[in-house]
Amino acid sequence: MSSGLASDEVAEDYKNSLEDLTSNDRFQISNLTVIAKENTEHAMAISRVLENHIRTTPPAQKLPALYVVDSIVKNVGTPYTLFLGRNMYQTFMNAYTLVDSQTRKKLDEMLKTWKESVPGSLDTKPVFPPEITRGIESALIKARTAALQQQQARSQQDLLGRGRGTGTPTGWTNSPTPQTAPRHPQPNVPRPNNNGHGYDAARIPPQTQHNSHQDVDLAALNRDIDSLIATARSDFANNPLDNSVQQRLKALLDLQGILQRQELTQEQLRLVRDQVSALAPAPKPVPAIPQASMAANIPPVSTTPVSNILAQQLPQAFQQLLNPGTLGELLKVTAARQQQPTPPPQNPLLYPKVTANMNTPPPAVPTPAENPLIAALKARGLLPATPVPTASNPLMPSVPSAFPFIVPGQVRYTPPISTPHAINASEIKLGVQMNTVSIKIPQPTLIISLYEARSNRCGTCGRRFLTTEEDKEKKARHLDWHFKTNQRMAEAAKRAQNRSWYVDERDWIKSREFGDDLEIPESDAQGESGAGSGSAAAKKSLPKQWIRAPNDAALRNTPCPICQEKFESTWSEDVQDWIWQDAIKVGNRVYHASCYAEVTKDGPAPARGSTPLGRTGTPDSVLGKRKAEDNDSPSHVRIKTEPSL
Amino acid sequence: MSLPGLELTQPTADRPFAAAPPTQISLSQGTEWRFEVAFGTTVRVKLLAGTAELFGTELAPSQTYTFSGTKAAIYTWHGCTLEVNAGDAVSSLDGFLPGEVNGSAARGLSAGGCQSEYTAEETPMVEYANVHFALEEMRQQAKAAGRDGPRVLILGPEDAGKTSLAKILTAYGVKSGRQPIVVNLDPSEGMLSVPGTLTATAFRNMIDIEQGWGSSPMSGPSPVPVKLPLVYFYPSQNPLEADGMIYRPIVSRLALSVMGRMAEDEDSRETGIIVDTPGILSQGKAGGLQMINHIITEFSISTILVIGSERLYSTMVKDYDNKPTSSASAVATDERISVVKLSKSGGCVDRDVGFMKAVRESQIRTYFFGNSVPSTASSALSLSATSTLVTLSPHATQLDFNSLAIYNYIPPTVDEDEDEYDPSQLGTGDPFFTGGGEGGGVDPSSHDPNQQPSHSDEPGSTEATASSSAPIDGLSVPLKKVPGPAPSLLANTLLAITHAPPNAPAPAIRDASIMGFLYVADVDGEKGKVRVLAPIGGRVPSRALVWGKKWPDEVVGLVG
Ligand SMILES: [Zn+2]
Ligand SMILES: [Zn+2]
Repeated sequence: MSSGLASDEVAEDYKNSLEDLTSNDRFQISNLTVIAKENTEHAMAISRVLENHIRTTPPAQKLPALYVVDSIVKNVGTPYTLFLGRNMYQTFMNAYTLVDSQTRKKLDEMLKTWKESVPGSLDTKPVFPPEITRGIESALIKARTAALQQQQARSQQDLLGRGRGTGTPTGWTNSPTPQTAPRHPQPNVPRPNNNGHGYDAARIPPQTQHNSHQDVDLAALNRDIDSLIATARSDFANNPLDNSVQQRLKALLDLQGILQRQELTQEQLRLVRDQVSALAPAPKPVPAIPQASMAANIPPVSTTPVSNILAQQLPQAFQQLLNPGTLGELLKVTAARQQQPTPPPQNPLLYPKVTANMNTPPPAVPTPAENPLIAALKARGLLPATPVPTASNPLMPSVPSAFPFIVPGQVRYTPPISTPHAINASEIKLGVQMNTVSIKIPQPTLIISLYEARSNRCGTCGRRFLTTEEDKEKKARHLDWHFKTNQRMAEAAKRAQNRSWYVDERDWIKSREFGDDLEIPESDAQGESGAGSGSAAAKKSLPKQWIRAPNDAALRNTPCPICQEKFESTWSEDVQDWIWQDAIKVGNRVYHASCYAEVTKDGPAPARGSTPLGRTGTPDSVLGKRKAEDNDSPSHVRIKTEPSL
Repeated sequence: MSLPGLELTQPTADRPFAAAPPTQISLSQGTEWRFEVAFGTTVRVKLLAGTAELFGTELAPSQTYTFSGTKAAIYTWHGCTLEVNAGDAVSSLDGFLPGEVNGSAARGLSAGGCQSEYTAEETPMVEYANVHFALEEMRQQAKAAGRDGPRVLILGPEDAGKTSLAKILTAYGVKSGRQPIVVNLDPSEGMLSVPGTLTATAFRNMIDIEQGWGSSPMSGPSPVPVKLPLVYFYPSQNPLEADGMIYRPIVSRLALSVMGRMAEDEDSRETGIIVDTPGILSQGKAGGLQMINHIITEFSISTILVIGSERLYSTMVKDYDNKPTSSASAVATDERISVVKLSKSGGCVDRDVGFMKAVRESQIRTYFFGNSVPSTASSALSLSATSTLVTLSPHATQLDFNSLAIYNYIPPTVDEDEDEYDPSQLGTGDPFFTGGGEGGGVDPSSHDPNQQPSHSDEPGSTEATASSSAPIDGLSVPLKKVPGPAPSLLANTLLAITHAPPNAPAPAIRDASIMGFLYVADVDGEKGKVRVLAPIGGRVPSRALVWGKKWPDEVVGLVG
């Protein structure tokens, strides 16, 4: 907290440097990475600056900024991964929505690498925790699947002669020409991004351009999807409670269904293929397509997916798919689909097939014949539909974006259909009576309220949260708490620590339990509006006047000399000690800060009149020293407080 | 000042143990893995797949939890796979390593270094979870009816799993967003404090998986949020001692504070109370039922859970089932007590005398020195590679015995022979105040704390805090100031620092909550000095001290 000012300065500097980054300049990006690395104590501020910048910068400059993020998380890692990860879904999807298809492709590639560990690192953990990448992936699959379905619907209408001018691009301005000339593949180059000045997030040999009109190999595509499904199934078996895994699996199954009905045109198939290749785990060396002679020196890997991307074709395809005029229908289609009770995933899901391409064999989970989770979910009608409300929200038609890419959860929107929401614990009907007979009856459905209904977990302590917006915020604060605590633990190791005295009855009765998920007043108040300028400053918590409660019992019981009231000790999680709020030490005596201010203040205060500074008015006394310079209505000033010297 | 050698010895990684290979344990749904880890050894447990909970608190996937000196069970509702690993041995100060035999820790030969471990198919978890759901139902109804949340009393003989049930109900409550006030009335084992304490704590945050209930506040950070107990001192293992005349008023006072908190703290009021009790009350001893009745009345108990005692259950049903609670609003809202019988878990093992002594010593050690086992669970996000071992630095200091106001309960009789006059004790004529047997003797010139007026410097404040509900008046409180010279028996025992002034009347001292403890390292009778260990440096608070002469039992060698 004490470094609030410095954090501001660092943030401001960082913001300025970011604004200079208008192209994919490797030098600038690594420079920004180094700055981030040297200022990890300001990681939170820097992360915020990055997020804000990505959100507000013009679409053309989003990719370079995201590459800065990529570089930081890979080269610096914690704590940036934590801070940036928290809003990554929003950051990523926001950007994805607004950029052209070329850039989307790059984002797909980058996302792929986030699922892997950092190349060359000893740490085998993926760059971002799977829950983050999976969430984004699921949203992408979902959006694309919906778009495909929409296109199918449309082409059927076209066949009926009711077509309405396909291929009218609206607002899609990019040229399909790739920015760079096709690069030559450099198989097995260990540090591929030194082949130019561009930052290559994927750090993989560039992919070969292929004939865009080449027909899609259906069999290969099916194989790829199969293998993705197998992986997703084993993920699901390992994390039966993870919503994102379940969603991803479902999306894949949907996709497979569409494919198997063989209702797709070649163009659509290419889209599917593109999607599939984007989903495939980042290949070690990128697999070569057998017929690509240039890559012949790479042994073909039979199970690897087709991974070439039809850059030139995709924009149009997407464009057609995403024509805003079709949005209404699109919504209908998605809605209809969601109402259809898709058959629930059957038992196969619970019996992971160990396939050759799985890196880690699934642990031997005993597989009971009747899985209570599945049964319970079925009983609650939860399994058939997609249970996460955020993922089932189609795009709001009035969204200002020129590109109505469907981004689940990006906007708050109540779908016009009744999809089952995440179970609210209070919605679960209890009905267990407190008597010896009633409590002997197993209640598998109620166990859901302790587990499945709270599917959003903290990876550190295992605490569960609901999937509501409110709980997401709680979780974010909770993660912050972990982070701060760990930071403090490291600091605290350097100095002696003590057991605190226990509180007395009065303090205990007055105390309220600290919640690590509680909103800290006046933090996180940043709105969507600011161009990133004020938010870092707003984040900095304003200094309340407090002192550490004295350990000495006599001092602890000495009242405020002015009002003769005793001080109340409260446990401060921030300070990690007992503190007295609204207290100030002057010489050897401790006063209520407000009492002291009232007594010592002459002239100005009465002149301003209207703001009494009673003890209850602590928020005002928050302004402390600043008050003198400020002009009027102190109670409002603090919201707009300018970012300090 | 801090004495050299006071810090805990770090775990020695180079101890020549051949590390046993990690063991994987697969549990099918509805089963649990029961394990015992000796003091001095550690076992690491990691959840590889599925879900698992330890007394209701869920394990995070892929985190490593370190256990030492524990007998516990990990249950799964959905099936899970655990990885179990022998951890480093924990060595500590000389002379203190209860589980240690001849210098080498008693390392078990079972999976992952456990002393013993097995998987159990039959558990009472369905019942216990349903109690939670029934409580949730009651909480909803109580809110609708404008009543307080349910006040639960857990009864049952020793080692029936009462504390485990209390933990499960607390953990599920916390998980459901509740904030139960958990009351420990069992002086034989502390909760967030040392043995000999009775406590009340509001739980909003997760119970610590590795460290019992968690930790009370420290000056430094804690990887699991600290809990804030209100602590009273009852320096005997047996609540029925002296006919319960000391225990009873302390329970009243504790209940009063809890009711005060409930009145002001909405979250706690809606959730209610969970009271854990000493097993001895449920074992048919004389005075047991009266004490249970006292607790039921003082806490306005609405739900009585009886584990593992058919006989007590039928007694409770007869006396309380469907009777109105003692809550002020009981009549208006027709609130009635329900009595429920619960199965005892087969995992409840008798904890032998040696193990319990080690648990108590460990609690005392932890109070002063922090955790003796590095917590690995929370270090995942840690920036540094340092372990999250929380080491506290207590301060040793020398005090003039005469400057201290140390009080001591002189029970009228010793333990079992309650109503008999014991001729071996030197009498002063008053059977309640027979001189303190073993040590020191009574100095007739010492102050008699029972003559209130002569000692009360602040009559106004102390009168007000005198117990209102104690059936006996202040004159009969067998609490006496320990006269000089400093008795050598003080050594290796605890002094509770009360919140009461040094010469408050006896009932006020008895009923006062406490600030913490001093450990008496040694006594120099001739010079009238005592060397003590205090949790915090600086002046030792000038307060009435209560000597835990017999309880908690001696801890030798806490200070080297
Ligand atoms: Zn957590
Ligand atoms: Zn004052």
